[in-house]
Amino acid sequence: MGVHVSLVHAAIAANRFGLGARNQDLKAIAGDPRGWLKAQLRPETSLPGPLAALPSTEDATTAFAKWLSSIGVGPSGEGTPRINSITPGAAMGGTGGGNKQGIEQSYVKTFGPGYATAVSARIGVGETSERPFFERLVRFWGNHFTVSAAKASAIVLAPVFERDAIRAHVCGKFADMLRASCRHPAMLLYLDNYISIGPNSYLAKNPGVLPEYLRNLMKGLNENLAREVLELHTMGVRGGYTQADVTSLAKIITGWGYLGANNQANDTPGKFRFLGAAHEPGTHTLLGKAYVQQGEAQGEAALRDLAAHPATAEHLATKLARHFIADNPPPAAVAAIARAYRGSDGDLAATAAAIVDAPEAWAPQPRKFKAPEELLISTIRALGAPKLDGQKLVALLDRMGQRPYWAPAPDGWPDAEDHWISADAIWKRLEWADALSKGLAAANLDPMEIAARVLGPQLSANTQTAIAGAENPAQGLAIFLASPEFQRR
Amino acid sequence: MIVDRRIFLGSAAGALIAGQARVAFAAGETDRRFVVVMLRGAMDGLSAVPAFGDPNYASARTGLAIPRDGAIKLNDFFGLHPALAGLGRRYAGGELLVFHAIASPYRDRSHFDGQNLLENGSARPFGLADGWLNRALTALPGSLKASRREFGVALAPAMPLMLRGPAPVTSWSPSILPAPRADLISRLGRLYRDTDPKLAQALEGAAQANGVAGVGGMGREGGANDFSTLMSAAAKFLSEPAGPCVAMVESTGWDTHANQVGPYGVLNRNLLALDKGIDALAAGLGQRWRQTAVLIVTEFGRTVAMNGTGGSDHGNGGAAFLLGGAVAGGRVIADWPGLARGNLYEGRDLKPTTDLRALMKGALVDHLGIPGAFVERGVFPDSTQVRAMTGLFRA
Repeated sequence: MGVHVSLVHAAIAANRFGLGARNQDLKAIAGDPRGWLKAQLRPETSLPGPLAALPSTEDATTAFAKWLSSIGVGPSGEGTPRINSITPGAAMGGTGGGNKQGIEQSYVKTFGPGYATAVSARIGVGETSERPFFERLVRFWGNHFTVSAAKASAIVLAPVFERDAIRAHVCGKFADMLRASCRHPAMLLYLDNYISIGPNSYLAKNPGVLPEYLRNLMKGLNENLAREVLELHTMGVRGGYTQADVTSLAKIITGWGYLGANNQANDTPGKFRFLGAAHEPGTHTLLGKAYVQQGEAQGEAALRDLAAHPATAEHLATKLARHFIADNPPPAAVAAIARAYRGSDGDLAATAAAIVDAPEAWAPQPRKFKAPEELLISTIRALGAPKLDGQKLVALLDRMGQRPYWAPAPDGWPDAEDHWISADAIWKRLEWADALSKGLAAANLDPMEIAARVLGPQLSANTQTAIAGAENPAQGLAIFLASPEFQRR
Repeated sequence: MIVDRRIFLGSAAGALIAGQARVAFAAGETDRRFVVVMLRGAMDGLSAVPAFGDPNYASARTGLAIPRDGAIKLNDFFGLHPALAGLGRRYAGGELLVFHAIASPYRDRSHFDGQNLLENGSARPFGLADGWLNRALTALPGSLKASRREFGVALAPAMPLMLRGPAPVTSWSPSILPAPRADLISRLGRLYRDTDPKLAQALEGAAQANGVAGVGGMGREGGANDFSTLMSAAAKFLSEPAGPCVAMVESTGWDTHANQVGPYGVLNRNLLALDKGIDALAAGLGQRWRQTAVLIVTEFGRTVAMNGTGGSDHGNGGAAFLLGGAVAGGRVIADWPGLARGNLYEGRDLKPTTDLRALMKGALVDHLGIPGAFVERGVFPDSTQVRAMTGLFRA
């Protein structure tokens, strides 16, 4: 393989599969770009420091429950108010908050700093990672199983959910990730399953055993999680299930909840708890199959089958191909990835390796338009500077339209350029490229050298000419950051 | 039961829906403005517009019902949620039309498919790749098109599907960084034109939008994403002589599965913000408000009964609003199906009896002057059985 070709492949490996090339990366990768990617497809032996330093799921759950108690919502904090209208400024403790009610101020004061720390950890790990393909997969699957702070509890739980339920399984089995997601308090809270009870369950028949604040919440079936498991997490909206399947799955997973603070068992809050008293008794039929198991095992069996369903393989392969190859993914690549998923019993490392093996993923022209967070991380990796603090990161990404852990809805951030390329979004990117370049003027960076090291042969003649013609190095750097081949991957 | 199907309230709605006559598109047409507000997450129409006159309303909505004496009275049958005080005043002033038991043709319960269908304007999710509002703009009458750089603006960091398509549109949202120097922008404009047409087009749109909004000049009283801030910005764009005549503004967070009512109920907050935003738009438009219509829509309604968690789940029939100085308001338009169990859609939802497209078509034809034939063919294909409403606007 010629030097040129290997550098093209190195640039693709670093920029399209990874989170962006750093100064020396292309040279190091060029020997074996595919091998470099595949070597990252193994579970990690220890967590990156900033993630390990975040609170445990148990502590995060307790913190949220305590705050709820402090504002008078349920002694164990299971009556979750949705605070959707926290303004960006307000949530970060800034001065921009408009609708300043006491509850919002308290929320911001309590959770704003921890949120900024979590965002800082997320971005920081991406900036410094030696396994950027693995990190990209973590973000992909985290977005697949979106838990969004658009619902208040997620501001503390989403980051630990991503670490504990998603990250741990990125190179493991999808079935295990799905199970971990459905058992994590963040997902159980976000999609309301913790308060869903079967219409014929013990609790439905004996509501008097519940304390009053729970009696008002736990009155019947809530199908929110079941619907999203089918529509978003496994089979996809056109996967072939019906409303009856949604209701059936909702019944099957009644009782899947978690221990709140002050729980009667006096146990550590935040742990998964199967509450038999909330479970809808009996056999339930999902996708034509009768689930005769009792209790928790019924949900376990149903989720295992959903993970193994051919529609799930197809749905996941399509999303992966869209993320790594093109907004309209080529059917042959989707088929190959789906085949790898099915043939490996849903092993996500084998599935990811199939993307690396897909020839369509190695088209030389950068095609995928970077989402704001990808742009931010790849910029910092390219420049080796500067580190931004959590609050600044949040404000920046918010203005570019992608506030971390704040996807608008359970289907996560869109993965197509039509969503991200708009007049306003481009302007916000250029503002940042300009401000960042001016801030780095004193560092005397050579924009042409940086562009060549980061983009390799992907750097176009037009962009080289534009950088060379810049009136000063700072402007040249801004042109590199704003160039189509850096805005895309 | 007295109240059942086919009662029209507050007007001779039969004529409204069946009539074919088009209001002559005449004087003042170049001042017409149209704003679409999309409430994402599915607004609970039965709480926004309580049907307290239905004998089954209170019992079917135990826990969620807004009683007659807790609502803003519209007529003997319908009211408004108490958070919508401004809308209540506009109703009394003849500026607000309220629609009920209305829905898009979507009959499943996925937000994403429901929103996609509502925005693409076909009869199915992903049926078309661009949006009905954009397609309509391609057929604006010459008097409205004349000398406009773009016809539509989205007050959003990303272009919503409803406004994507061939007609020139732009987007804008508030900034926190200083604007780059013009020299850098012109160099990048050249680079993009030579190598990446999509980026080139977006950049040109941005440069112009900033000129209109007056970079740095926006108030951020309520936070940059505050609905009122976006509505005030919409008013600026719509007041610009060469600017757009149509705006789209989004509001999110209407998916009230839990704790819909009560001291921290999110519905109350959302409705307050909506109400305040309408006031901000009207204030910003000044005299132009007289020629303005605002359409407020959501992807679907919510279940009639309270769910097990103090909220409501995804449903079908819901409510919509059309308001503004150009609107012949002060009426509720509904072919009310009734809330008796046997009348519900699939035993759980308010049955949709009016197709939202009838309302959208009526607004496009009679307010913006889009030719009816084009609306049928090019804006809402597969909808010939859905007749455009007439009589929605002041003559």
